[in-house]
Amino acid sequence: MITMHELAREDVQLVEETLAGNPLSFQLLVERYQERIFALVRHYAKSAVEVEDIAQDTFLKAYRRLETFQRQSSFSTWLYRIAVNTALDFLKRTGRSPVQAVEDPELSASPVRGQAGSGVAITAPDAHLRKEEIARITHEVLGELPEIFRTVLVLREFEDMPYQQMAEVLGISIGTIESRLFRARARFKEAMIRLHPEFATPD
Amino acid sequence: MKITCEDARPLVPSYLDGELAEVQASPLRTHLLDCPACRETAKEGKILQRWFEPDPSAVKVPPGFAARVARRAFAGDPGVLVPEPPAVRPRRALLPFLLVATAVAAALLFVLAVAIQRQSLPTGNGLGATDAPPPWLDAPPADANPAPAPTAR
Repeated sequence: MITMHELAREDVQLVEETLAGNPLSFQLLVERYQERIFALVRHYAKSAVEVEDIAQDTFLKAYRRLETFQRQSSFSTWLYRIAVNTALDFLKRTGRSPVQAVEDPELSASPVRGQAGSGVAITAPDAHLRKEEIARITHEVLGELPEIFRTVLVLREFEDMPYQQMAEVLGISIGTIESRLFRARARFKEAMIRLHPEFATPD
Repeated sequence: MKITCEDARPLVPSYLDGELAEVQASPLRTHLLDCPACRETAKEGKILQRWFEPDPSAVKVPPGFAARVARRAFAGDPGVLVPEPPAVRPRRALLPFLLVATAVAAALLFVLAVAIQRQSLPTGNGLGATDAPPPWLDAPPADANPAPAPTAR
């Protein structure tokens, strides 16, 4: 079984071969990460064509900037950062960027961690709901959230990304990741209850 | 070590995310066993996580995607969504132009100032001043030999 360290080393090898002019090495890099990038950017898109366009642009950008890739962070972290920025650029260009978060968790004076009682609670998805239906509802609710909250939820909940890697991808501290996640979850619950009151439960 | 609800609740989200060090996770687990209120908080967190299941109908990577992207990358394709903004270039060129124009103008002013200064300086070896009285002092005064006054008849 290939360890994470070996994977990272192979990534660096493929990057160097790509920089030396080998298209096949870049193709292998794309093949390694295409599933994950598609899974990530679909949360910012509304159709399969858009997903493919954002994913393709992510890899093309990565290729153009490959010389700037510092080996300090992993290639996957670096690529995720490009993917998130490409997706956010896409939202702005299409005028689909939801309301920006006015509250900056870093500037917020109130403590945010551990405030379990955000006033709202939601039920678990009904047992009779198909996975596709659950995913559709979650996608709809995520679309209501400001970008910064949507992004941390996607990275954490769908990509199962550790806080440290999230911090590197987004260029913020782990403390900010924690507080932003807390707010994102509260906002997700609020939006869920607004759009689907049938999933509300008294807190 | 026992912890209070006040200590426990801030730790619950990190605990559910698997981000808590064992030294903090262990007393939290003990607290959750004893405290129904904090257990409820943890339960809410777990319920929320159930909404983030993988989507089986998610967009699949089309066949040949990687080969196509690699081909386009090596052909210099900048992409379709976010091309490099061309409008930035003229602005970038403006600053060097202004700097050169300012430098040329300054040089011209300097040359002009030197030329004017050289023109106003006296020429020759000396300063041009002598001890001799100015020429108008050597000339006889205008009324030294006045014309004879007409005689009266």
